[in-house]
Amino acid sequence: MSAPATGAVLSDTDFTRFTEYFYKRTGIHFTSGKRYFVDKRIETCIRNSTYDTFTSWFAALRMSDNSGMLQDLINQLTVNETYFLREDYQFDAMLSTVLPNVLKDRGGVSRIAGPVKILSLPCSTGEEPYSIALRLLEEWDQIDQVDVEIHGADIDSEVLAKAAHASYGERSLQRVPKPWIAKYFNSVGTGRYQVEDGIRSAVTLHRVNVCDTPAMRAFRDFDVVFCRNVLIYFDELSSRRAAENLYGAMRPGGYLFLGHSESMSRISPIFTPTRLPEGIVYQRPTGAK
Amino acid sequence: MGLVRKQAPQQPEELTAEKPSVDTLLQQLDDPDPECRREAALGLEGVADAVPALLTRVTVETETRVRDAVLTTLSAHDTETVAGGLAVHLASDDAALRTAVAEALATMPRSVPALMPNLLAAPDHDVRVMTAMVLADLAHPDAQVWLTRMIAEDPHPNVVTAAIDALLPGATAEHAPVLEAAVLRFPDDPFLRFTVQAALPRLTGTA
Repeated sequence: MSAPATGAVLSDTDFTRFTEYFYKRTGIHFTSGKRYFVDKRIETCIRNSTYDTFTSWFAALRMSDNSGMLQDLINQLTVNETYFLREDYQFDAMLSTVLPNVLKDRGGVSRIAGPVKILSLPCSTGEEPYSIALRLLEEWDQIDQVDVEIHGADIDSEVLAKAAHASYGERSLQRVPKPWIAKYFNSVGTGRYQVEDGIRSAVTLHRVNVCDTPAMRAFRDFDVVFCRNVLIYFDELSSRRAAENLYGAMRPGGYLFLGHSESMSRISPIFTPTRLPEGIVYQRPTGAK
Repeated sequence: MGLVRKQAPQQPEELTAEKPSVDTLLQQLDDPDPECRREAALGLEGVADAVPALLTRVTVETETRVRDAVLTTLSAHDTETVAGGLAVHLASDDAALRTAVAEALATMPRSVPALMPNLLAAPDHDVRVMTAMVLADLAHPDAQVWLTRMIAEDPHPNVVTAAIDALLPGATAEHAPVLEAAVLRFPDDPFLRFTVQAALPRLTGTA
């Protein structure tokens, strides 16, 4: 079917055109298997706008710099749910390749000066930094030989308060092995578990906007940064500024993980992409130029 | 050893901005340390008086990471002075510089339109190719109009091909005639012909 769009219904051609546009703006690609999901969300966007057809709405989206329309679209088409051990293939990469490289680059376990520093930004309600802590404690054989600082940062004070409290329901914990829950969590009510004090107190939380250059100067010398599924929410200029600020927060040679659908190459050339078995990671170059 | 905490505040830390003075940042733009120059460039965000110094830095800077930071700060101004000061580098022999400048100009929809008459008529066809790159990502309602004009009127096949590449992501069936006409204008250019022939079925809904 390739008929012109009427109302909010997308023709096949519209769908292809829309998904190419959305991929270009965000790096997120929707296959035809997501057709129903995309159709419904676009209907919502059109309903929220002043346009009454897909054609007029899409034309306005493409032709204007109305970031509110794009933000509404992104909000509709991205799922902000977070949970423990999400996209944990990147934690696999951290354990198997990244941290060994960090230790090697910094002189080896016996000669490393200062802690290994890991930043989760945005950390939302804390699932990511605590997941990193759990993976390190359970699976990294160097954890008893090396000091590790874990920092979480977010712009939203409400999610940070929840991260500090670190109490989670079963949905958030569904991927955490039961023995880990028994070992690192305390039951605090029906179906709710709180991260034990030792881990909670080891994670430092900060409120910061990644685009705020002066505030981001407080972040320095991070060996590993997780900045997943946030740059897609920014316009080009804000993405560039965020990338510059992340660069400044990292040690030369440090590693940056983005979300699986994100690409730094669309934002800034200042990082070097490195292909690991688990996927692409971006490094702050060690040398000049 | 193990997990350690840098400090022990009970609540999330509130990070406050500590910004050096503008004079200090301007001096640091010439610092021998590239990282110092990079941070100075970022720190000058929103400082209109710093524009001349930043434009000069684009011209002389040899470290790409510093230059990118300078361009990030400059492009936020989105004024005709900045756009004009950057556009001259579209003719640079330094491929990295002209590409970086094109990316910066593409984020300046308020000021770039005033440059378009000169850019579209630039005698150097490589400048016109870079102009197509700018228009590819420029969020402006006339971006497609300018690209369509390039496809229809520009005498150089490389410019026309670049404009087609830039237009295609947002092209519709109404653009099919101008694309077909471009093929007829350059019958000896197989790449241009292939690009158009590959795109037409999608545009016309016959894929």
